[in-house]
Amino acid sequence: MLTRDRLGAFVAVLFGTAIVTLTLALLASAKPQVPDRFAAVAVAVRSPGVSTPADPFPESRPWSSAEATALAARLAAVPGVAVAVPDRRFYAQPVLGGKPVTTVQEAHGWASSALASDSLVAGRPAQSAREIVVPRSLGLPVGSAVTILTAPGPAQWTVAGLVDADRLYVSDGTATAFAPGVRMIGLTGHPDPEQVRQAAPGATILHGAALGDLESRSDARTRWIGMQVLTGMTALAVFACAFVIASTFALTVHQRRRELGLLRAVGATPGQVRRMIMRDAAVVGAIAGVAGTLLGTLAAPVIGRVLVDAGFEPESFSVGVHLWPLLAGLSAGPVIAVSGSVLAARRASAIGPLEALRQAAVDDRPMTRPRWIAGLLFAALGVAAGAATLVTDDLSDLATFALLGVMALVMAATVLAPAAVPPIVWVVLRPVRGPIGTVMRESALTGARRTASTAAPVLLTVAFAVFIAGNVQASTAAYASRRADAAGTGTVLIPDGTPGLTDTAAGAAPLPTELYLNGTVAPAIGLDPASPAAGDRGPALAAPDTVVIIGWRAAQLQLRLGDAIEVSFADGVRRPLRIVGVAADGTIPADFLVSRQTVREHDPSALATALPLPTGASQAAAVGARAVDVATYSRQADADEDRLVWIFTLLLIGVSVGYGALAVANTLFMATARRAPDYRLLRLAGATPRQVLLAVAGESTLVVTIGAGLGGGAAIIALWGATVGLRSQTGSTLPLTVPWPTAAAAVAVCLLLALAGSVLPARAGLRHIGPPRETS
Amino acid sequence: MTTPMVSLRDLRMEFRAGPDQVTALDGVTVDLPAGTFTAVMGPSGSGKSTLLHCAAGLERPTGGEVVLDGVTLGDLDETGLTVLRRERVGFVFQAFNLISSLTAAQNVALPARLAGRRVDEAELAAALARVGLTDRARHRPVELSGGQQQRVAIARALLTRPAVLFADEPTGALDAHTSRQVLGLLRDLVDERGQTVVMVTHDPVAAAVADQVLLLADGQLIDRLAAASAESIATRMAAVEATC
Repeated sequence: MLTRDRLGAFVAVLFGTAIVTLTLALLASAKPQVPDRFAAVAVAVRSPGVSTPADPFPESRPWSSAEATALAARLAAVPGVAVAVPDRRFYAQPVLGGKPVTTVQEAHGWASSALASDSLVAGRPAQSAREIVVPRSLGLPVGSAVTILTAPGPAQWTVAGLVDADRLYVSDGTATAFAPGVRMIGLTGHPDPEQVRQAAPGATILHGAALGDLESRSDARTRWIGMQVLTGMTALAVFACAFVIASTFALTVHQRRRELGLLRAVGATPGQVRRMIMRDAAVVGAIAGVAGTLLGTLAAPVIGRVLVDAGFEPESFSVGVHLWPLLAGLSAGPVIAVSGSVLAARRASAIGPLEALRQAAVDDRPMTRPRWIAGLLFAALGVAAGAATLVTDDLSDLATFALLGVMALVMAATVLAPAAVPPIVWVVLRPVRGPIGTVMRESALTGARRTASTAAPVLLTVAFAVFIAGNVQASTAAYASRRADAAGTGTVLIPDGTPGLTDTAAGAAPLPTELYLNGTVAPAIGLDPASPAAGDRGPALAAPDTVVIIGWRAAQLQLRLGDAIEVSFADGVRRPLRIVGVAADGTIPADFLVSRQTVREHDPSALATALPLPTGASQAAAVGARAVDVATYSRQADADEDRLVWIFTLLLIGVSVGYGALAVANTLFMATARRAPDYRLLRLAGATPRQVLLAVAGESTLVVTIGAGLGGGAAIIALWGATVGLRSQTGSTLPLTVPWPTAAAAVAVCLLLALAGSVLPARAGLRHIGPPRETS
Repeated sequence: MTTPMVSLRDLRMEFRAGPDQVTALDGVTVDLPAGTFTAVMGPSGSGKSTLLHCAAGLERPTGGEVVLDGVTLGDLDETGLTVLRRERVGFVFQAFNLISSLTAAQNVALPARLAGRRVDEAELAAALARVGLTDRARHRPVELSGGQQQRVAIARALLTRPAVLFADEPTGALDAHTSRQVLGLLRDLVDERGQTVVMVTHDPVAAAVADQVLLLADGQLIDRLAAASAESIATRMAAVEATC
């Protein structure tokens, strides 16, 4: 039987398991996919990996062209290998009607077609320079001319052949020129991975499911962000769900004291009472778990689509049905419900048989010693998590600690709430006069514990809303202040439908690339020594094989001015560079500066990100580029990131606030229903229905005030910890930002739900009674 | 008289009420023989309810001992005490007797089911018939009158065939006519089945149904009246209350 008491727990578990199933289904589906263009690859041999704290998914350190060719020849000799192809990919984009085609942005040597099992549907393979095989979908006939954008700029190419897939193929000689560095050699056939490993020492061997690692780095990065979002959502959902169940059951037990006492009096042992409560929770949890699992499974594809659209998952992401998320969802229901009810069940079993004989349920001891200990322990945990945010230097760890901190503080505030209720009530209701005010005050004071458990969901809602919104504001502000420093005034040339600017469009623009140093990789920028960006470093960089290094990197590598540093370029060539300058931290936009010429030489496919134009200069519009003012540029740079952050925030706030709001309405509804006899007595004592409703509304408002005060307090303490952590990480002087609009909105929602959950049923109840009469 | 069914030895009960130390029972020693009907009377605060609670194992005294049907209650832990209560003791309270979500029959069967025993239909029907409620088995407490509710409570208390039936103001919330029915039922149990009954009351008419009346004042046993009339009990009570 689904009584009113069980309804709250039911709905809480329903949504809890739905979110758990949903996120697990998404996580199970979020396995990396082998890209189509490697469909025929049996074993992949990848160049040695590198690691860097700045990026969880760096590209591996490439082999030089000669190394790759030699290795491929060795690998081709391994038994079972049909072909061994060094994968050479570079930037290339067809232009149709003056517009770059956005669906195809890279080209490969024709040899790579074997890795994808692509075959010609017309024409012949590209054989000489400026010959290209294009997708049939472009609608170009064999032999026609087509404009192709590559890093140097647009040029006329001849269509040699057509393929079905959205890929471009050039001759292997052309590919070698554009992509001298090789990161992967694909093997087809049926080679033994172990033998491949022996033939390619130091390389990473991928086969079977691990081939998913071949997905593009940006897909991997997106997938990783999605993982963070889903993990955060699951943690919040499980916590909020267990919290709501715990407070619902605590209230139920409190309200059923007399009945439980009677059960004890007629012969139920404490163990029987405890098991009864937990069995109740298990049954509700199991039923709600089935419904929630179903709901979560149905919602998963929809949410999956949303995540792709929002950019939390790559385009290739699709949600399938897996067995283990279903099993996890089904078992999560009873597990969450029972663990949420453990404390309430313990408390229920401590009720004595004489409770049945007492007339009124008055909280004898609002705070017990174990309650004090538990509350202070949670508070200490919250402070410890706050301290941990100060010492960690990993951004995702910071978020985890901050979230743990706020959870612990919410628990602390909830557990210690009965102690805080009397002073808050005293302060809030001191100026209130009149009989109704007195009734409200005394009822809240004598039932400090009941008042506290009714306020608990409000506490949770307000705390999470304030914390999440405030935290996002703080971190956005921290990074925005960094970007603001970088922006100037004037006009900027930016890519238009392309991943970057070609030399034709912006021949003098800074050219970003990467330098490999032993096991790590660092960002570098190639500057035109004559450009304004190079400033007084120009002459030094103009000399061959010179580099300017950023201060902290120099200190880390123990290098000084004049020393030589051995680096690998994007083409896999190792070369010592002479340090001609050490820049102070924060004064250059990358770890290394080299000449633009050097970058172009070693990374023929590098593209510029933007080029500031001198004021007044009117740039002729080049293909794939457009000029905008600085404000538009920085807005556009931020827009995507801001949108991601915003959606993430909404998801998290939605989950926690949605839960809290649900619980607020439910607990107020429960509490009001149980207080019907009191209201009847008020009517008998001569109060008008209006006065009774006023008292009901007043009590609800008081409960919301208490919850909002405690929750806001917990959130601000947690926010303060997170802000200090961010401050030490970004080195900015970030002020503590409290998101007042969000806080006000959360409190308003709680108040509205609380009033609806209490005044409406009370009004219906009063109307039902009619004129006051003696009840037996 | 045979061996006592309930034996209280120097029973003491003290508790704290705010800053004051309250002595509810101050050394009560009494034996209640099997198969007798005992009424406990006294002014408000005399300790009569506490006496009943201690004798029934609902509350632990701070001093002295209770022996019920040969078992010393002080030796039992909470679970042991509960098991003893549901097997040897029956209760009837003034109010809040029945679980509101269960029918009359389900309420009657509850203690036996808590003890893990199956209750057959015939046994249930017999229990309800004994209190004259055969046709009310499927009704919920809200659909029953006060007297009917109290009779359901008595049927429930008797189903486990308890050694002692304790009743705390069983007629307190009932009118005169219904009170007489309930008291008559209790009397019949003693006379026909040899049931031991201990009842707390403040009503001399109710007390007159008992074989003996214990009078308490200030936590002490001050008098024992055997087979007294309602008038003599009322007179004695008035005298006691005047001295308090």
